[in-house]
Amino acid sequence: MIPLSYYIMGAIALYIVGMYCLAVKRNMIRLVIGIEILINAAHLNFIAFSAHRSPSFIDPLGHSIVIMSIVFAGCVTAVALTIVTYAYKHYGTLDVRKLRRLRW
Amino acid sequence: MFTKPLNTLLILMVTMPILGWVTYKKKYRKIRGLYAVLGLSVTAYFLYELYLEVSEKGNLRSCSLPFGACLDIDMLSIFMALIYVMIGLLAAAYSVKYMERDTGLTEYYTLLLGMVAGMMGVTFAGDFFTLFVFWELMSLTSYALVAFRKERWAPIEAGFKYLIMSAAGGATILLAMSFLYGMTGTLNFADIATGLGSVASNEWLFVTLTLIIVGFGVKAAIVPFHTWLPDAHPEAPAPISALLSGVLVPTGAYALIRVLLLVFGSIQSVWQMTLLVFAVLTMFVGNLMALLQDDIKRLLAFSTIAQMGYILFGFSIASQQGLTGSLFHIMNHAIMKSLLFLCAGAFVHQVGTRDLRKLEGIRQTMPVTSMLLAIGAVAIAAIPPLNGFWSEWMIVLAGIEAEMLPYSALMIINILLSVAYYLRLIYVIVLKEPTPVSKKATEVPLSMLIPIIILAALCIIIGVYPGPFVALAQQAANATLGL
Repeated sequence: MIPLSYYIMGAIALYIVGMYCLAVKRNMIRLVIGIEILINAAHLNFIAFSAHRSPSFIDPLGHSIVIMSIVFAGCVTAVALTIVTYAYKHYGTLDVRKLRRLRW
Repeated sequence: MFTKPLNTLLILMVTMPILGWVTYKKKYRKIRGLYAVLGLSVTAYFLYELYLEVSEKGNLRSCSLPFGACLDIDMLSIFMALIYVMIGLLAAAYSVKYMERDTGLTEYYTLLLGMVAGMMGVTFAGDFFTLFVFWELMSLTSYALVAFRKERWAPIEAGFKYLIMSAAGGATILLAMSFLYGMTGTLNFADIATGLGSVASNEWLFVTLTLIIVGFGVKAAIVPFHTWLPDAHPEAPAPISALLSGVLVPTGAYALIRVLLLVFGSIQSVWQMTLLVFAVLTMFVGNLMALLQDDIKRLLAFSTIAQMGYILFGFSIASQQGLTGSLFHIMNHAIMKSLLFLCAGAFVHQVGTRDLRKLEGIRQTMPVTSMLLAIGAVAIAAIPPLNGFWSEWMIVLAGIEAEMLPYSALMIINILLSVAYYLRLIYVIVLKEPTPVSKKATEVPLSMLIPIIILAALCIIIGVYPGPFVALAQQAANATLGL
């Protein structure tokens, strides 16, 4: 069995990748994907912890919260993509740096 | 399943689209708004019943898994839920007239009820699972409401910014929850607290603490994470601005202090200092930025950031008096800021601009709204004998008693800064000569004035008789601290 610390390191790496994506990427759809990566980092952590709780037993609580959270992540993505569609209609571009009329 | 008030709200939320489908014809347009108002009144009654039950029997705990949620209702939950329902009711009543020119009203009221339900669920939650579910309900509905007027570019841009920041905050909370789950094997607040008591304070506890402060801090508009707020609040429709600013942002602060006190009680001195620094930073940035604004709703949005600084300062003291002051200020801030946003919405509805330079001297054509705005501005600038003075004074006194004199002094400086821009607001609206735009304005209809008048009356009533309201806040603070 792979030790728990590897999973935690993986989750933290995913979290950093997601934050990097949010900070650096210019395409709005990539930002939405960045949000998904962030949420999935937490999911990986939950599943790893629930599997390593005790030998030969998998805690269902971690799994149930992950399933709920996947649903919410889907909802967030749906709303986000709707807003991206309207933003594309208004601005004619997906470049998030063009969306800076609201400064100060 | 949940409690009666929350069930009512969820049922209303689900039945609203059906009602919208039935009353599709143009002449029945107002029925949806009236249904929402009626439903929220029923919720308020059920909440009163729940209040009686809780004040008689103490905490209501129910963990009826797997078919129900894990709820833990104490006086603090009731106190917060009371504010949500009150502001939600007035905002819905205001929307009936304010939103008459918009389409998609069915979606609007569904989302509004969903947002109130989400916030109420956050305060009723007894474990992280329930808290997260309702947190996401609240966030999702608020994204859609900020971007509600989708035919204009500004709400879309503000909504996208808000969504990205707030969803990242939500993911951060989820990661923090996973660490807490890994350390203790449960998500129940009380069990986590006992579980963490046995864990020696290791570095993971501090990592989790950081993630929690960042995650809830995005919603609570703590300063480095506040940038969504001054865009999202002005661009939302006025009743939604009132709800966002008056109750959604304090919900972030509420969740933060609830989790910190319940779960991280063992490392209190660490997060107390952190919150204190953030609170002072939040006050200064909010007030200094508000001084520079020419857009009335943007000014109010920056003022919200400053008020969150005061509330966080009271929370970071974490004494009984500090918590009482902060909770009382949450209530007063909800009333005052909703009043101001609804007045600003009345100007936008009649004149179509938010620019203070064009709104100069609008008192001559809209005397009642302008006077009510002046009452709200005087109250929030902490001028006695209105309600804002009492709660801000309580927070300052609590700071002095907890030997944090320099921080209390900084807060007084901030209150003086806020007096400056609110007096400017009153001067511009009431005393200046009218511009061509403000000369053409007419007074708003009565159905929009009534919610504003109720809020202004509450400002004066709480200012003159603060006793019973302070007692309620004190009960809530005692429940938080477990006294």
